[in-house]
Amino acid sequence: MPDPTRAPSTRALRLGICGPVGTGKSSLIMTICASLAAELEIGVVTNDIYTDEDARMIRAAGVLPSARVVAVETGACPHTAIRDDVTANLMAVEDLEAAFALDLVLVESGGDNLTATFSPALVDTQIFVIDVAGGGDVARKGGPGIERADLLVVNKTDLAPHVGVAVEEMCADATAAREGRPVLALSRHDPDLVALLLDWVRGQVASHAAGTLVPADPGPMAPHFHAETGWHSHDDHPLTHQH
Amino acid sequence: MHPVALLLSDARLPVAGHTQSGGLEPALAAGLDDVPGYLALRLATVTRTEAATAVVTLAHLQRGEGIDAVYDAWAARTPSAAMRETSRELGRALWRLASRLWPLPPLPAWMPRPVVLGAVAVACDLPAEDLVRVIGYDDLQTVASAALKLRPLDPAVATGWVVAALPLLDQLASSVTGLARPEEIPATGAPWIEQLAETHAATSRRLFRA
Ligand SMILES: Nc1nc2c(ncn2[C@@H]2O[C@H](COP(=O)(O)OP(=O)(O)O)[C@@H](O)[C@H]2O)c(=O)[nH]1
Ligand SMILES: [Mg+2]
Repeated sequence: MPDPTRAPSTRALRLGICGPVGTGKSSLIMTICASLAAELEIGVVTNDIYTDEDARMIRAAGVLPSARVVAVETGACPHTAIRDDVTANLMAVEDLEAAFALDLVLVESGGDNLTATFSPALVDTQIFVIDVAGGGDVARKGGPGIERADLLVVNKTDLAPHVGVAVEEMCADATAAREGRPVLALSRHDPDLVALLLDWVRGQVASHAAGTLVPADPGPMAPHFHAETGWHSHDDHPLTHQH
Repeated sequence: MHPVALLLSDARLPVAGHTQSGGLEPALAAGLDDVPGYLALRLATVTRTEAATAVVTLAHLQRGEGIDAVYDAWAARTPSAAMRETSRELGRALWRLASRLWPLPPLPAWMPRPVVLGAVAVACDLPAEDLVRVIGYDDLQTVASAALKLRPLDPAVATGWVVAALPLLDQLASSVTGLARPEEIPATGAPWIEQLAETHAATSRRLFRA
């Protein structure tokens, strides 16, 4: 779906990384770049809300040539830029792909909230990142990214003892909410866990190149149940998400 | 009003409009507090040049003429490189959407937004006056809605600015609708806006692209 005029295997895999601010999206991108730059040609698009801080941080990490990291301004609408009107991001991705023969483009969302997910018109596959510091309940609370992103990362497991979170329980809750879709506990300080992340990324690149990767849209908020009001969908309140 | 004019002036059109503040972000940073005055200034200057470029493009394409001379006239009257770049980015965004929706006349790559809008107008039989109003109205709403993101403000106040400026669209329409040749495009620049556009393009702290 991202570009109907091209066969999926002729361009880079577009991998979206979203999730709330501070959960470790930029760090995860730097980990992927630092570890895979020798085997894959990688570019990065960031969507900071107010600055080009993320792009500068990733450039400063020296994991990629700086021209391969571009920042997109979202006019304070980070969720619009990855979902309803992906034009600015798509142009940035296409420019990177045109300038460098890339295997992988990583798109970092502006990370404004728990419900934002990427449009399948922008990315082929997406990771949703939450962290243990956000509390053990986050996985249970769900939302489209937590429930249906291609991969859910429960990040910063090294902090679990300090914030009183049981990682196994948090991952079990997430796995239940995700009906079996993959969940990865991750800490950038744990090489074994990082290796699992890298294997997942390699697998996505390979299946994209083979033309077998089909973008799965996490979609909007699914109808859900509130004990006091019964089933409803958030479409009942369109104004709450407008701006 | 032509229905396509409604579509083109709707902020929900996916053409990256949400990335723009119509120069308001740097203007506020430079101390602007008269936003209604700023709206009027734009309509009389940079937006007038843009609207004129669009109607002259429409006239050229209707006569089956190429648009190189229109492009040159627009570029000569848009002295800020940052503003030319922004207009080309927005033209590209509109082109990628519009070319999937309508059979547009062929254009060189990287045409500025008013030229692409002129091409859309040809493809959709959009009258020149509607085209001018779309450009003027979009400019008003771009600035007013960006103001809500940049300043503590009641949305009704910002909408009030737009309503108060609507009569200026009539003036804009009467001054540029009939233009047909590149040399008639007014060179109504606004050095203050142009200077701020240059400054903004070089800053690393901004909500809006331009
Ligand atoms: N302890 C710990 N901190 C991390 C880890 N990953 C990222 N961080 C820290 O979390 C903070 C936010 O990370 P960042 O990548 O900027 O988050 P983003 O806002 O989602 O892009 C930074 O201070 C990182 O150093 C991790 O695995 N463990
Ligand atoms: Mg970040």
